[in-house]
Amino acid sequence: MAARAARHRPPNILYGVEDRPPLVVNVLSGLQHVGLMSVFLMYPALLAQAAGAPPDIGASLVSMTMIALAIGTLLQVIRMGPVGSGYLCQPISSVVYFVPSLLAVKQGGLTLVFGMTAAAGLLEVVLARGLGRLRALFPAEISGLVVLLVGITTGSVGLRTALDDVDLSSTANSHQLGLALATLALMVALNVWGRGPVRMFCMLLGMAGGYVAAWLLGAIGDSEWERVAAAPAIALPALGHLGLSFDATLAIPFAIAAVAASLKAMGNVTTCQKLNDADWVRPDMRSIGRGVAADGLGSLISGLLGGHGLNSSTPVVGLSNATGITSRSVAWPVAAILLGLAFVPRIGLVLSTMPKAVVGAALVFSSTFIIVNGIEIMTSRLLDVRKTLVIGTAIVFGLAVEMNPHLLRILPTAARAALGSSIVVGTLVGLLLNLLLRIGVRRTATIEVEPGAPGTAEALEEFIEAQGAAWGARRDVIERAGFNLAQSIETIASIGVVNGVLEVAASFDEFRLDLRVSYDGPLPELPDKRPTNEEIIASEEGERRLAGFMLRRLADRVSASQKGARSVIVFHFDH
Amino acid sequence: MEMHEEQVGAVTALAVKGRLDSTTAPLLGARLESAMARPGASVVVDFVNLEYVSSAGFRVLLIASKRADESASRLVLSGLSAKVRHLFDLGGFLDLFSITASREEALKAAS
Repeated sequence: MAARAARHRPPNILYGVEDRPPLVVNVLSGLQHVGLMSVFLMYPALLAQAAGAPPDIGASLVSMTMIALAIGTLLQVIRMGPVGSGYLCQPISSVVYFVPSLLAVKQGGLTLVFGMTAAAGLLEVVLARGLGRLRALFPAEISGLVVLLVGITTGSVGLRTALDDVDLSSTANSHQLGLALATLALMVALNVWGRGPVRMFCMLLGMAGGYVAAWLLGAIGDSEWERVAAAPAIALPALGHLGLSFDATLAIPFAIAAVAASLKAMGNVTTCQKLNDADWVRPDMRSIGRGVAADGLGSLISGLLGGHGLNSSTPVVGLSNATGITSRSVAWPVAAILLGLAFVPRIGLVLSTMPKAVVGAALVFSSTFIIVNGIEIMTSRLLDVRKTLVIGTAIVFGLAVEMNPHLLRILPTAARAALGSSIVVGTLVGLLLNLLLRIGVRRTATIEVEPGAPGTAEALEEFIEAQGAAWGARRDVIERAGFNLAQSIETIASIGVVNGVLEVAASFDEFRLDLRVSYDGPLPELPDKRPTNEEIIASEEGERRLAGFMLRRLADRVSASQKGARSVIVFHFDH
Repeated sequence: MEMHEEQVGAVTALAVKGRLDSTTAPLLGARLESAMARPGASVVVDFVNLEYVSSAGFRVLLIASKRADESASRLVLSGLSAKVRHLFDLGGFLDLFSITASREEALKAAS
């Protein structure tokens, strides 16, 4: 309900979201974005390897993902109906969907991956409409926990991929281990000591270095090179493997992925809002909801096309920040380049024939950032005893399954497939404990004042500021609440209170601050539409309508009711 | 609310500190009316120390702005904090007034 403030471009942003950079800048920026996005195409390539699919199918999976990425990029910027945040917040093929896709590919092949990815994308679109409730179920510690578990699983899969069947007594296998370690070391070195583009593309450069080393060591067979060389320069992706299938036992892992993707998209769209507005105060939930819907549609389309699950990317948003180019017009060259490259089968073939040691090293490298990102999200709020218990217990359960899978034998066979991963077990334990330990977490304080008495508005502001500080509430929310109380008391005093006392009850948990204002007297008007300047100037009635309009807009939701002489106005502020 | 008035060349510069609400807004309204009594007057209102503005404060500013238009006077506001600026934006007032970041810029704009 509250309006987004007019954007005021920060000084470090050269081209803001509404700006149109020159064509050359647009295209070069688009190329840079595609370069970064292409790093994550290793996930569909690796998925094809895990499925044991022939290279042309692997190449098709990569191509179809590229087409979906192009569509997903445009969906974010074009703002059609309830879809599209309006920001340059394009997706990548995401690790969030990679982990459940590995489960699906083992259980039912690629068609099951596509079907479940499409279903998860659809769920994300649905979730976009109820983000407020989602936040309550998934506070920062649970969001961070999911990201942490995704990171741990990715690193674990990476190690297993790199060291698959390694027998160190064999020279060939010690080469594989050496290659994995050297690739990882190269990525780390480029990231720590590299600068500018070298640092930005350290993973891509590390993978290229590992690929060349594998070729020099003879780890890539001649037949694989011949296949790449023999592929046509331009061709339609292979379509023979396409199809959709579904399995209820995978519903939980993919639902968790959809929720994790929604939360990540929420965070990235919020970052885009901050990047483009120097006066940013609070998230614009409308734009965020549209962004999450676009994110989910991207995965839905990718699944239907036969591609990998997509999700908005923090590194991609970081690239916009680093270059100072956040213009939504960059999305068009990004989409055009991706679409063009989707019909170059050699790209997919090169990725699909990447040695396991190199892919494994890349997964381990990327997992480190995901793990730390998860820890940062978890610790972004003060960790009290309740949160400590939720996080600690969930991690112990998640890791126990990761380290010792036969612990799941205590479960019925059907449930084992649904719960058989550290992410699912850890997340479910965290969710249940979070709900259980939330009992009694909401705090309330009340104050009574006399409207019209000197210093009443100041007393109310001091009350909410003191409570806000005691509760650890966000500063911007308390400022808005303080204005609402002061303006309410002024307006209510002007329309008359019957017995002279007004009661304010403030109740708070980490997701919501509610102010319940009750008194004996008439309700003020809370119009949706601003009165005209002439109406405001003409009478105090116009001024009161302006007050009601501002009260309504400053809160996230307002409800007003009257029983007999008693009027009650409740202002809800999301936290 | 505290008000301080200063004459800077031909410009009347008002500095407002504290809260602009239904109690204090009439005082500012009276001061603005007197400052703009002469046709072609230039008035700067510095809000750098303003903590709060309610609908009553906005009404007084709207009336002053209308008076300025009618008498070919100039009214420039300056020094809005992020919090006060947000309230101006919320009420749809940012585009209605001439607003500068600092008092110095406002004095230049009003001269």
